[in-house]
Amino acid sequence: MSSTHAAIASAALPAGSSTAATASKALTVGIVGLVLTALGVAVTPDKHGPVMSYLVGITFCTSILIGMLMLILIHHIVDASWSVVIRRQFEHALSAFKWLFVLFLPLLVLAWVKPGFVWPWMDLGHELHGHGTVGTDILYQKKAGFLNLNMFTGMTLAFFAGWVWLSARLRKASFTQDLDGDIKWTFMNRQTAAFGLPIGALTLSFAAIYWVKSLEYHWFSTMYGVWFFANCIRGALAIGVIIMIWLWNRGDYKGVLNTNHFYSIGMLAFAFTVFWAYITFSQYFLIWNANVPEETFWYNLREVNHDGSTNQWWYVGLVLLFGHFFVPFLYLLSYKHKVVHSKIKPIMWWILAVILVDMCYNILPALKDGHGDSLPFLSLNLLWVLTSVVGIGGVCTWSYLKSFPTAKLLPIRDPRISESLTHHE
Amino acid sequence: MAHAEHAATPPAILQEVKPAVLPRAVMVANNRSFSWITEKICGIIEGKTPTWWWVCFILACLVASFTVAGIAYLIATGVGVWGHANPVNWAWDIVNFVFWIGIGHAGTLISAILCLLRQKWRTSINRAAEAMTIFAVVCAGIFPVFHVGRVWYAWYLFPIPNSNAIWQNFRSPLEWDVFAVSTYGTVSVLFWYVGLLPDLAVLRDRFYASGNKLRSALYGFFALGWRGSNRHWSNYEMAYLILAGISTPLVLSVHTIVSFDFAVSLLPGWHTTIFPPYFVAGAIFSGFGMVLTLMLPLRAIYRMEDLITQYHIDCMCKITLATGTIVGYAYAMEFFIAWYGANPYEGFAFINRAFGHYAWAYWIMISCNVITPQFFWFKAVRENTSFVWILSIFVNVGMWFERFVIIVTSLARDFLPSSWGYYSPSIVEIFTFFGTFGVFSVLFLLFIRFLPIMPMAELKAVTPQADVHGGGDHH
Repeated sequence: MSSTHAAIASAALPAGSSTAATASKALTVGIVGLVLTALGVAVTPDKHGPVMSYLVGITFCTSILIGMLMLILIHHIVDASWSVVIRRQFEHALSAFKWLFVLFLPLLVLAWVKPGFVWPWMDLGHELHGHGTVGTDILYQKKAGFLNLNMFTGMTLAFFAGWVWLSARLRKASFTQDLDGDIKWTFMNRQTAAFGLPIGALTLSFAAIYWVKSLEYHWFSTMYGVWFFANCIRGALAIGVIIMIWLWNRGDYKGVLNTNHFYSIGMLAFAFTVFWAYITFSQYFLIWNANVPEETFWYNLREVNHDGSTNQWWYVGLVLLFGHFFVPFLYLLSYKHKVVHSKIKPIMWWILAVILVDMCYNILPALKDGHGDSLPFLSLNLLWVLTSVVGIGGVCTWSYLKSFPTAKLLPIRDPRISESLTHHE
Repeated sequence: MAHAEHAATPPAILQEVKPAVLPRAVMVANNRSFSWITEKICGIIEGKTPTWWWVCFILACLVASFTVAGIAYLIATGVGVWGHANPVNWAWDIVNFVFWIGIGHAGTLISAILCLLRQKWRTSINRAAEAMTIFAVVCAGIFPVFHVGRVWYAWYLFPIPNSNAIWQNFRSPLEWDVFAVSTYGTVSVLFWYVGLLPDLAVLRDRFYASGNKLRSALYGFFALGWRGSNRHWSNYEMAYLILAGISTPLVLSVHTIVSFDFAVSLLPGWHTTIFPPYFVAGAIFSGFGMVLTLMLPLRAIYRMEDLITQYHIDCMCKITLATGTIVGYAYAMEFFIAWYGANPYEGFAFINRAFGHYAWAYWIMISCNVITPQFFWFKAVRENTSFVWILSIFVNVGMWFERFVIIVTSLARDFLPSSWGYYSPSIVEIFTFFGTFGVFSVLFLLFIRFLPIMPMAELKAVTPQADVHGGGDHH
């Protein structure tokens, strides 16, 4: 952070708006969460549960940041106006990408130290249920050019490098424009958006394939990247609203935001609720209808045990159907529910919770018992999911709060700031 | 209730707000007045029919006659006059159906989705795009209706049990198509018609004032007694918004169901989960290609550069670029997953597309749909309207080939090598499809001759002088 930024920004913030104390608290909470997760790994006889839960946590937090990155890029490419006043908060949050990379490192190290511990295909000697090992599996052999440790490591590094680099460019241009008001920064951000969107689309798609989909490496779906994108945007919008209300309650956004900002972001949240449902339904429906075993096994794992009995994941699927779609869909139909702070805030927390459940649904059934059945959803693993989210989320919050005082509350020299401040329906 | 309302005293940060200067493009250039807009739009209808219109109309009728002749021959002879033969039992009929239905989507996107997104630039092009939607649906409908062979049994498609009390197969996406397309066509006509009401009333009044009582009565009949009162406008705005809300999921569902025609099957190259959003993006892409193809000549002929400005062309080019790139993503993801899935049949289907007997079609598709829109990255290209028009033709061609590649290449090389074949269209098929461009052109020419091609009231609302903030940067 440059001292000039800090000096200018602090002068603009209202008295008592310091975020240093809150940042420290967030970091403390984050560290506690991470320590508890580490303890979980230490004390649990089968280490897989806490480690996979940690993967849920980091995928969840990364997805939210990717969503913020994509929203900023879309904002610039379409020369949007109403979202200018909110954009700055997303820019602060992007500072957490580098910390997410640091927090992903344990998984990368684990992949090298103990291949196959998280992603079974990394261990060629890994026993498959009923048909030999990964190394002798024809399906693995066909994919070995993509599913190998070197590629995984290189691609993961490339994903984070891309996100950190794009974030740095966006933040630099936006923050510097506060100082000099030069229009060239707006054009620079548009350029970043132009090449950043394809980069973002490809990296998020392949991150979803490598980190999540490849846990069941036999399975494939062309829709998977789009499903991940839908969750990314929904998570980003939810956190966006929560930040807006937090800053409103602090006094920072009073007189800055109006009802229409909440209405617009609420509408976007509604639209992406429908989009998520559309994507998720299409994927499920096409696989269910075709009924090809090489595809349906992924859903079967999430519905039935080897003896035909229904497992817990079937109910989790219903929670997703109703909780991830019907509840927010019906709730956000109401105008009041989008603009009244006390109404919109709970549904945004709810959306975040069901995104987390969706991540669990996609990741945790890879944990299997001796029969090849997925371990139940209601287990100690849920605790480790929560400690991971608290830990990683705490670090991200700390990063956001550390960045917060380094720039103005609003992009005061953005060419569309006046339009944003007078945003109306 | 904690509404987000302005605080009594403005926060200090607002004192520091000093936006960099980057004026918004105007929607109506050269500060044109309200009366100029009315005269410009109505003048097209009120003026003498230009010679070029007659030339185009006669030519379009001649081209349309190919469809009429092709269909008449088919009815008299049977579907054997088309080039279908095992294993390609679906070919140009479904290709042409999907092609035309896809084109229609841009009209609904512009009129409904851009309306919900409050994109003001849509006003100059939405009327013509909506008309395009309806005419495209008409052309699309020809193929499924006549491909049944004995067209007098086409009513079997509707949910009425036949004489043996046999119901339609409701599990077939082709049956869903019947409902989706007919609903889509109905709502599109309603949306278009509701938008026309204020302008029809303007024409009624103008013809009345000029003494043309017959035309005044005709436009008056269809204007449904519109008087432009506050109450009328209030109801109109609400109806328009509701129709936009209905049309948005409808347009997405139509092409989703069209994609299901293929994706619910087990055929390699068809059964892939990304088909629904990929088809929707492709439909919007092809639709914008057609909007550019139609609007650029109209703009030049009627000297409408002040109404369809460079900004409008920029926006259309950028949407074409965005959707073309999404389509490119889908192509790439399909190819990747065909390899990653390690299913040899799926892998073969895609390798065969790119390097098999139909490779020429595949590379035309890639060139037109993925490479062509990339030219729109460059401002110089977007500002060269002739070049944009040529590129838009490539988009139209590419999207027809996309459907051809998906449908024919997968069928021609199915699971049983002994049945493999090479499909070639018959002359009847070629003529029938060629003629639909005539059908479309006849309808579109009638539209521009007799109906206002732009919504006058909406255009006036986006002029600088209509801006409550005085035409400044605010809106």
